[in-house]
Amino acid sequence: MRLRHLFLWDMRFQAKYGFYLLYGLLTVLYIVILFALPQAWRGSAAALLIFSDPAAMGLFFMGAIVLLEKSQRVPCAFAAAPLHAMEYVISKTASLCLISLIVAAILALAAGLPHLPQVLLGTALSGILFTLLGMILATKITSLNQFILFTVPVEIACFVPAVLHLFQLLPTELRNYPANVCMDMIAGRSFTAAGILLLGAVIILLFYLAEKCVSKMWESAGGVKL
Amino acid sequence: MIQVNDLYFSYTTKPFIEAMNFTVEKGEIFGFLGPSGAGKSTLQKILLGMLPGYRGSAIVNGTECRHRTNRFYENIGVDFEFSTMYEKLSARENLQFFSSLYEKSGRPIEELLEMVGLQNDADKRVADFSKGMKSRLNFIKALLHDPALLFLDEPTSGLDPANNRMMKDLILEEKKREKTILLTTHNMQDATELCDRVAFIANGKIYALDSPHNLIMSKGATRVTYTWMDHGEHTASCPIDRLSGDEVLQKLIAQNRLKSIHSSEPTLNDIFMEITGRTLL
Repeated sequence: MRLRHLFLWDMRFQAKYGFYLLYGLLTVLYIVILFALPQAWRGSAAALLIFSDPAAMGLFFMGAIVLLEKSQRVPCAFAAAPLHAMEYVISKTASLCLISLIVAAILALAAGLPHLPQVLLGTALSGILFTLLGMILATKITSLNQFILFTVPVEIACFVPAVLHLFQLLPTELRNYPANVCMDMIAGRSFTAAGILLLGAVIILLFYLAEKCVSKMWESAGGVKL
Repeated sequence: MIQVNDLYFSYTTKPFIEAMNFTVEKGEIFGFLGPSGAGKSTLQKILLGMLPGYRGSAIVNGTECRHRTNRFYENIGVDFEFSTMYEKLSARENLQFFSSLYEKSGRPIEELLEMVGLQNDADKRVADFSKGMKSRLNFIKALLHDPALLFLDEPTSGLDPANNRMMKDLILEEKKREKTILLTTHNMQDATELCDRVAFIANGKIYALDSPHNLIMSKGATRVTYTWMDHGEHTASCPIDRLSGDEVLQKLIAQNRLKSIHSSEPTLNDIFMEITGRTLL
């Protein structure tokens, strides 16, 4: 029940803070870009767009959300409430993934990508991966500059291999790398069971780490200055 | 409601909280008084179950704090010194959101808003609230789930006299509802007026624990200070229970030569300084 309430409130916050409006405008812009490209490029361009923005938005928006909450000292209130850190993590991840899925579905349909369910599954898994990474980083930082700096290694580790993999510039041995598995799914390509298992294991590990980081952030924020 | 026995805690090898013992009864307003760095924040963290690595025992609402689960917070309300609200949401939205975190249905939001006079501002964004309005909103946020135990951290800090009075009345109203209240304040007047008992905390230890009245009376009786003119102004003082033996005062009264006379009793701050050797501020 509490998780459902949290999820609905997170959607409400995101709407209030303009996330839906922003992604409405970005979706229109992306569709214009896709239709400006030659037909042959649209599939790869759509996969690249979906992976680099709606799927990866959690990485950046979690920083903004957590920093905003920190600046308004909301974590202090969470620390003294019966809320579980995992409920917070799941709610934030699910609400951001919902935006990712809506935008990805529109872009995939506009670009005529085949295997829509696979594209959406890939977007959801990428969204979870990036949102959890963003959340873990956001709990450790105190300013937006710090966050931008901290996301650089994540971007290098996730985007560079995935983009190279999309254009088949990486050895096939690296196809099971989690970011590459996500890219394969979004691009409607085949992927291996081993790749999915590895991705699942990484996501479980990130959920565990995010829960620990959020708990720690609340504990340190919950102590009031007297 | 709260039992603390032989409580020790340390962030390093040096003890930060040492040999603390106290109990807080149901329906009592209990004050923590002490300067910054005295250990009040750490003690509050321990009682809120956020620092499980303590030695000794700290039982709150029947639960040993180190073994608390998240349900522990269903019966505790915390009013922080600062606002802990989403500034872009309205007062009503914030209260609805925080209320949804609890399983208990608690007190009606409209009733709480009316209680603190915010019913007409309920749909205003919290960012547009004054400090006094934010303090009142923060206070009722702690009451949403109708907890039996309230932690109030400097609830009157920075408030103008009207808001200060209103906040103190609200606290006393909650006492009438049999809430147990742990109050942390630097304001001696508030502590004297609100608290049934206060604990003087300094250097991680409790130096004294009693009712404000007993603490004041145990360390010094009320004194009478008077002035008169005799080739310049002179001042003298005398304990109130020995006035009849003060010959100078008797003579000045008989000759109508007193320029001023007033009685004064030591404040909690004076007593705190005398006992701990430190000031509260």
